[in-house]
Amino acid sequence: MPTIRASPSSELGAGGGAATAATARLAVRPHRRIVVGRRLAPYVFLAPFLLLFAGFLVAPLLYAFQMSLFRETLVGGARFVGIDNYVRAIHDRNFWDGIGRLFQFGFMQIPVMLGLALVFALILDSGMALARGFFRVAFFIPYAVPGVIAALLWGYLYGPAFGPFSQLSVAMGLGQIDFLAGGGLLPSLANIAVWEYTGYNMIIYYAALQSIPRDLEEASAIDGATALQHAIRIKLPLILPTITVTIIFSIIGTLQLFTEPYLMRNLAPSQINSHYTPNYYAYTEAFTSQQYNYSAAISFALGAVVAVASYGFMLLANRRGRR
Amino acid sequence: MSDTEGTGRMIGTGPTIGRRRFLQGTAGALVAPAIAGLPAAARAQDKVELLFWAWTPDTQTQVDLFQKKYPGISVKLENVGQGPPHYVKLRNAIKAGSGLPDVAQMEFNSIASFKQLGVLADLAPYGVGDVGPKFIDWTWKSVTDGGKIYAVPWDSGPMGLLYRADVFDKNGLSVPETWDDYAEQAIKLKEKAPGTFMCDFGASDAGWVCAVLWQAGWRPFHLDGTSIRIAINDDIAKKWAAYWQKLIDAKAVDVKPMWTTEWFAGFDAGTYASWVTAAWAPVLMQQSMKKSFGQWRAAPMPQWQKGGKVTSNWGGSTFSTFTTSKHPNEAALFCRFMGSDPEAARLWNTKQFLFPVLKDLIDDKELMGHPYDFYGGQKVNEIFVVSENQVDPSFEFAPFQDYVNQQLQDEMAAAIAGNGTLAQAFDRVQDTVVGYANDQGFTVL
Amino acid sequence: MTIAARTVRSPAFRRQRWLLTAVLGAYFVYTFIPLLYVIVAATKTNADLFGTFGLWFAEDFAFWENLRGLFTYQDGAFSGWLLNTFLYAAVSGLGAAFFATCAGYALAKFRFRGRALCFALVLGAVMIPQTALSVPLFLMLSKIGLVNTPAAVILPSLVFPPGVFLMCVYIEDAVSNELIEAGRVDGAGELHIFGKIAFRLLMPGFATVLILAFVSTWNNYFLPLVMLSSSEYFPITVGLSQWYASATSGSGGAVLFTIVMAGALVSVLPVIAAFLFMQRWWQGGLASGGVKA
Repeated sequence: MPTIRASPSSELGAGGGAATAATARLAVRPHRRIVVGRRLAPYVFLAPFLLLFAGFLVAPLLYAFQMSLFRETLVGGARFVGIDNYVRAIHDRNFWDGIGRLFQFGFMQIPVMLGLALVFALILDSGMALARGFFRVAFFIPYAVPGVIAALLWGYLYGPAFGPFSQLSVAMGLGQIDFLAGGGLLPSLANIAVWEYTGYNMIIYYAALQSIPRDLEEASAIDGATALQHAIRIKLPLILPTITVTIIFSIIGTLQLFTEPYLMRNLAPSQINSHYTPNYYAYTEAFTSQQYNYSAAISFALGAVVAVASYGFMLLANRRGRR
Repeated sequence: MSDTEGTGRMIGTGPTIGRRRFLQGTAGALVAPAIAGLPAAARAQDKVELLFWAWTPDTQTQVDLFQKKYPGISVKLENVGQGPPHYVKLRNAIKAGSGLPDVAQMEFNSIASFKQLGVLADLAPYGVGDVGPKFIDWTWKSVTDGGKIYAVPWDSGPMGLLYRADVFDKNGLSVPETWDDYAEQAIKLKEKAPGTFMCDFGASDAGWVCAVLWQAGWRPFHLDGTSIRIAINDDIAKKWAAYWQKLIDAKAVDVKPMWTTEWFAGFDAGTYASWVTAAWAPVLMQQSMKKSFGQWRAAPMPQWQKGGKVTSNWGGSTFSTFTTSKHPNEAALFCRFMGSDPEAARLWNTKQFLFPVLKDLIDDKELMGHPYDFYGGQKVNEIFVVSENQVDPSFEFAPFQDYVNQQLQDEMAAAIAGNGTLAQAFDRVQDTVVGYANDQGFTVL
Repeated sequence: MTIAARTVRSPAFRRQRWLLTAVLGAYFVYTFIPLLYVIVAATKTNADLFGTFGLWFAEDFAFWENLRGLFTYQDGAFSGWLLNTFLYAAVSGLGAAFFATCAGYALAKFRFRGRALCFALVLGAVMIPQTALSVPLFLMLSKIGLVNTPAAVILPSLVFPPGVFLMCVYIEDAVSNELIEAGRVDGAGELHIFGKIAFRLLMPGFATVLILAFVSTWNNYFLPLVMLSSSEYFPITVGLSQWYASATSGSGGAVLFTIVMAGALVSVLPVIAAFLFMQRWWQGGLASGGVKA
């Protein structure tokens, strides 16, 4: 562990004399201090996270992977089956139907959610709207609402007989709307995800925007730019890395969609069946059918799809960035 | 009977005295093994601690009663989830090889599954058999297998019919006694009042589906060692499917999912004129509805044969203990007390509104004769008392009932959404369940 | 209208200001309608919940009853759950944010052997859904006897990969290399540079990751569900969902929907408080000086 050779002269803003003293000290023993400090530092900083990561994420994953290579039955116990479970997963229509569904869901939901989050973050950051503090909190609240009441809540809002929107539609003579029937189910679920996560992403963008120095804005002002131009031409490119991170995590989150179908399963049982999304499929395989091994295989297969999608996106992003 | 109670009390008052007096007593061979088997720990007056997982509200009341009666045994009650999460935890603990409680709530439909995992302890060696005659026959049959006792019944849900007297009166309907009658009334209602349905077809809840099919004579599973006979799509199922398909196609019944905001609202608003449901439903409705106060009534479950007297059960739990328990004796004692102790059992009914499984309580006219204002002053429980005595005891659940339930729900929902008929749904479920059973190593007959 | 012009209170400025506010207001209405249902539902009795219009109050105002019920039902279990949730979320949030910041700093400001591998590994592990982890994690923790303890919830929650990536990206820009070099030239050790110099600049990012990790743990349902089997350790998510399910239990169930709604409302308040508290770090503390609006 590198020792912290802190001395008053190492504080920033110290006078030149102190710097000379420091450099003098450096001349005497520069080698040991800098090399040890700098070479080892990244590993030291990474260690706590990596240790926890290894223990609580990697280790269970390896265990799960091992499980996916076996088969345990109610009669007969466990036996090694190699990649049988994976072969079965690749041929499993339920799995691929779910993936297809999620791609549709993602194309609908991610642009809307991140687009709105970006717009609102830019508006809030521009300082031009009123009641900014209020809106900041208000938009974040949906993320904080516990999922347990989601079924009651959305069951009510989406209800064709007693829900307010359907009732409004009836009052206007347009008849009942069954939000959760047929083709309306996916957009309805997407809406829930947008409602829940737009604020979350907005906060991320807002924090990133806040770190952009104000002098840039002054420079733009001198150039005669409007706030909008400044937002789009200067701010946006500067937070592109953050946006990329949120896109990747949105892709991952979408392909791993579980909570929304799980909470809503009782509202649309004819459509949200036990294999509506691959992650939910993995869950029911484990906890309803007790096929823990196949469940693990599905999870890893899903992970592979996620990897392809995420890296695919990153490649695309890099290529466009290079233009 | 009373001797057994007496010896029960003696076990708690002090080991040496109890044993002597008891061995002198006429209690008989049945209980003697239980006492002789008392582990050293209890004799040494170490307090035995039992862990009990249950979700029924206020169970602590009865636990306290037990602890008062048996001061040498302390019981820690935990609610680890209701229904599915509870079983997930049990299964995880089984997999991990540790963490199983001593006693757990075990619904009737889950006993076969946990018996299959080989973790349910046999209570017969601990003298629990002598309370058997106190329980309603079908409940005792459901917890026993040959000479073994896997659980002690706790509560039940015999089926009946709840209906809206005002909707019936307004549309000139009569209370149906047979299913044919029910269908006729449904069509009649649909013609007279198009937005109102006789009921909501509860395909989203496999528990309901199994219960109504049970009454019709459906016996889909029979397990014998590792051989299993699976007959999910037999003639009875097909007939039942055709019956409901007709009503669904005629739009005489609704097909909304149960237990949702819309569903509750539908009952209160009069969209659904009736509900074929279990004995625990009256209290539930009373707690969640206001507009229809005083309009509901209870009637016997419609019969497939005119004059028939067959009903079924939906829900209900038991007390089970596990082979991993370090205190099997005390655990068995606890199960027995919680299910059959007169004071505790009476409280289950009066405090938690559970429907009883003890003959004494079922026959108690005063207890079961309480009039309910929500039901226009009707003594609702009397209907369910009759039903309890008519539950057909020959129904068997699968050793993988969770899987079966999931398949039933999935396929029936698909059928309702237009993907084939209900009858075809049963065919599909039969195929997938047979495939699953084969996969899991059973020999499917 | 140029930025320069907007410092003058021109009609154009006012128009833009109202337009932007209106846009935010519109989204607020969208955000608020579901919340309104929760608020209103928490003021009703169960019997009224399904019989009255969902977005407005019923005749019987039962909010205080529901609150009382919430805190007294099951011997006041809810207060314990609230404290548990706060403990888990605060400890995990702080820990997760801190470790993510350290890791992000390393990835952002150092070029070292294994850097690319780190990225790939951390990102790759996140791609496999957490459902795959719950049973193995349970079995592993069971072996070391940590199951059914607060540690079983807190320790896994200290791993927050999105935080690592967010901080990495944030630190790249927020902490300039010149600053770090200057510190090195002055003879400061790496830990000192990180703790005394860089950290102050990281605060907005740190605060963001902190609030995200905090809420993520606050709302976590599956991890505590699998790990905990004693009510005294439950967080709100598990406890409330038990009460919610009680109505659909069949035998012996109690209809507790409105109490659960009240619980959901109460559960949002500490999160809002934490958010408001964290907001101060979004203003100020920037290296190049100047506080943003």
